[in-house]
Amino acid sequence: MKHDTPAWRNRGKPFVIILTLVFLFIMLFPFFVMITTMLRSSQEVYATPPYWIPHQVTFENFAIVWSQYQLLTYFKSSAIIAIGTTILNILLAIPAGYAIARLRFPGRQVALYLFLVVQMFSPVVVVISLFKIFAGLHLLNTYFGLVIVDAVFTMAFSVWLLSGYFRTIPMEIEEAASIDGATRLQTILLIILPIAAPGLVTTMIYTFIYAWNDFLFALSFIQTQGKMPLTLGLYRFVGRWSSQWHLLSTAAFLAIIPVLVLFYIIQQRLVAGLAGGAVKE
Amino acid sequence: MADNALTLSLRSRMWTREARLAYLMLLPAALVVVGFMIYPLIYVVLMSTYKTNALGWLTTFAGIKNFVSVLSDTEFWRITGRSLLWTGIGVFVKASLGMIIALLLNVKYRGRKVARMLFIAPWASSVPISVLLWSWVYTPEFGLLNHTLEVFGWAHPPVWLGTPIPGFIACMWVDVWIGVPFMALVFLSGMQAIPEDQYESAYIDGVNSFQKFIYITLPGLRNIILIATLLSALWTFNDFNAIYILTAGGPVNSTDILITSLYKNAFVYLKFDRAAVMAVITFLILTVISIVYAKFYFKGERKE
Repeated sequence: MKHDTPAWRNRGKPFVIILTLVFLFIMLFPFFVMITTMLRSSQEVYATPPYWIPHQVTFENFAIVWSQYQLLTYFKSSAIIAIGTTILNILLAIPAGYAIARLRFPGRQVALYLFLVVQMFSPVVVVISLFKIFAGLHLLNTYFGLVIVDAVFTMAFSVWLLSGYFRTIPMEIEEAASIDGATRLQTILLIILPIAAPGLVTTMIYTFIYAWNDFLFALSFIQTQGKMPLTLGLYRFVGRWSSQWHLLSTAAFLAIIPVLVLFYIIQQRLVAGLAGGAVKE
Repeated sequence: MADNALTLSLRSRMWTREARLAYLMLLPAALVVVGFMIYPLIYVVLMSTYKTNALGWLTTFAGIKNFVSVLSDTEFWRITGRSLLWTGIGVFVKASLGMIIALLLNVKYRGRKVARMLFIAPWASSVPISVLLWSWVYTPEFGLLNHTLEVFGWAHPPVWLGTPIPGFIACMWVDVWIGVPFMALVFLSGMQAIPEDQYESAYIDGVNSFQKFIYITLPGLRNIILIATLLSALWTFNDFNAIYILTAGGPVNSTDILITSLYKNAFVYLKFDRAAVMAVITFLILTVISIVYAKFYFKGERKE
């Protein structure tokens, strides 16, 4: 396979690798700090001068955050909000995405354009008035309130992604189904959705991650400890126990793992969805 | 003739049926978007023209008085200027670092897939939580950042989050850190679409690496750089988490940008009318950027 790496590619390779390692050190810096902090006891966190390698590696912090700091409650809230958001979002985005991909109607182009612009909408701009509206609807301090806003703020991108996937399915498959007597609903449920499964998974994971990572809405609408998702719970945790960085690092590690795994599954398609035709998937 | 009219009316009837189905399918998504995005936006515009009390209730109509009072406040202009500085420098640094990392990842060597995975980590992990980690990293006495900087020869690194200018730089760096992976991935993906033979013929012509970058890579990435930069500008301008979690705009509002300041005006100082004015201004700025982004996005789509 000599021709795979032509000679001109080989020059300067060690230089590239060294530079890559330097940049990786910079970009992964807080994660290194997180790992070395979560593996040490509180005495070792407050050593002056600080040092990188813990003298004695311990896993006691995992037991402590689990039993004493309500981490399980935060996890439960995050899971309820993220799963609820994902379900609500996908149920509304599938029909909308299908309509934009497959049906001809006046205003289709405008709808497409609007969805792309709305996708950029800033949550901070409307969070003030949402607060008033939620107060009126008794949605403050409820999971359902967060589920609705998270689902709404991911809607445009979901519809956008899904309609892109539906469009790639050949029209002939649908026509064949309708000749065989399938109704539109049957065609969508039994033929289109299974073929578009990778697109559905991407959309659902994207929505799940968005809701899991939301901080702004939780900060504005959730007051009771028992309903706080991880992001808000850990933020308050730092405020109240500002000296317990080893526990925060441990909790952060546990909170980051689920999204990290999910993100790696969809990253390639996410980039293509955001940058459009300019990027190949 | 009659036959023709019949097919025409039939076709238009089918067309309306299809259109009706389309509207029906769009309705649920449209309803929630209108109810929880468009209506709140209208409400915010309305709020910006009223005086509000501490609970956020609209009390008396104020017309453009709120706008006048915000726009004549030097603090507002300082914060807006800082917002633009934040966005301009942030996007520039993100794009530059993203380009360097993309170039590094575009070289074929064993393990570059792993390197690519690792470079994405800041984007992939939960942003609010990694910002919390950064506040530990920045801790002056016990934090490992200043310790490491001292090891590399910086004798007295600043108390990052406790002082105005280092605080702003520290926040900006966290925002950059979050945004670099997206840039790197998009640029890399664009570089891989540039045909290999362009580089090979350049090699035969004896062109050096820097010239290859200027004359082949950069022009090939033109459209991608535009789209990624616009998108990143929106995200950067909008970034609430980095500043709010690290410094909450402090010390003494010295690290506030429009987004964090408007949030604090509403939820901390309870000046909802003032916050609404800032929200409307923010919305206008963001809309301009989004429309330009959408334009280039569709241009890219059409080319394909």
